[in-house]
Amino acid sequence: MGADDVSDEGNRVERFKSEVAGMKLRDPALKRDRALLVFGAVLLGVGVAVAIYGYALSHQATDDQRQQLDGITIGLVGVAVTVVGGALFLRYSIAQFLRFWLARLTYEQGAQTDRIVDAIGSRSTQDPPAG
Amino acid sequence: MTDAVPMLELRGLRAAYERIEVVRGVDLAVGEGEVVALLGPNGAGKSTTLKVIAGLLAPTGGEVRLAGRRVNGARPEDLARAGVCLIPEGRGIFPNLTVHENLRVATHTGRPFAELEAAAFERFPRLADRRAQVAGTMSGGEQQMLALARGLAANPALLLLDELSMGLAPLVVEALYEKVQEIASEGVSILVVEQFARVVLGVADRAAIMVRGRITAAGPPESLAEELQTAYLGGVS
Repeated sequence: MGADDVSDEGNRVERFKSEVAGMKLRDPALKRDRALLVFGAVLLGVGVAVAIYGYALSHQATDDQRQQLDGITIGLVGVAVTVVGGALFLRYSIAQFLRFWLARLTYEQGAQTDRIVDAIGSRSTQDPPAG
Repeated sequence: MTDAVPMLELRGLRAAYERIEVVRGVDLAVGEGEVVALLGPNGAGKSTTLKVIAGLLAPTGGEVRLAGRRVNGARPEDLARAGVCLIPEGRGIFPNLTVHENLRVATHTGRPFAELEAAAFERFPRLADRRAQVAGTMSGGEQQMLALARGLAANPALLLLDELSMGLAPLVVEALYEKVQEIASEGVSILVVEQFARVVLGVADRAAIMVRGRITAAGPPESLAEELQTAYLGGVS
């Protein structure tokens, strides 16, 4: 290892230490993910209700153009809230699904290992002694 | 290992997928320029441990410490920027991009691309011959070389290798581990997870055996032969 290598090594370690020291940390995101999932589902429901209300409002006001415009505006706001809620719900439910999928894979692999270990164990006890 | 603060230290680390606990109180340390092998059968929680260190999975308990600082909850991009590099199982290269393009992806560090590519080709001359080849059409060993070259382009201080030998011929695996030893001699700390132990024990400074989420034995590689047999072939309690 030459002088340059030694210097690179020192730089690497020092850089790592300073980067780690300056790193901003947050709390584990599990609780936040769940809260955002629920928030997305609520927004989805509220958005649909608001959109239906806006639609009904604009239909009831057959003679009042201002009320019709209000109804349309409320309806559009409802649609926008639905889209945002739907996006949030989809984002965090897919993350949850993927975690579940990984958990299932891990569990199945663990179970398979147990079966192999059991099979080898039972076979070695059944084998007659040599000689 | 010296008394210096380890580059990576796990203290009672726990991790779970939903309610299934996969890592159950792991204690492990990797010193500067040290190669530590984490071995164990399928489903032991080795890869999950690496995911937690790389910030891809939040720990449910315990601590991940880098250079003495507790970094639980750090984002993977921040950890990568700091110098933690995970080379995942399955290599993690872009199979539809060429070798040249795969290396170009690693230029986010601000290092000039020509310099980065020259360093990669100097370490892995075979990649220079494959420069314009689509990565997915290369052999498994060449793909693993590319994954290592791309990881090293970020000049990491801590390299996490997940099943480097998976699907590769024994001679290729030996050649790759020679490179791993060379990388460690440059001061990079390396934690390598392997299911098949023989070759990695030849290059590791220390090893630990993980079974069902727990470290069941740890120490110099030569002292672990018996525990390895127990872990793989039964006696798992």
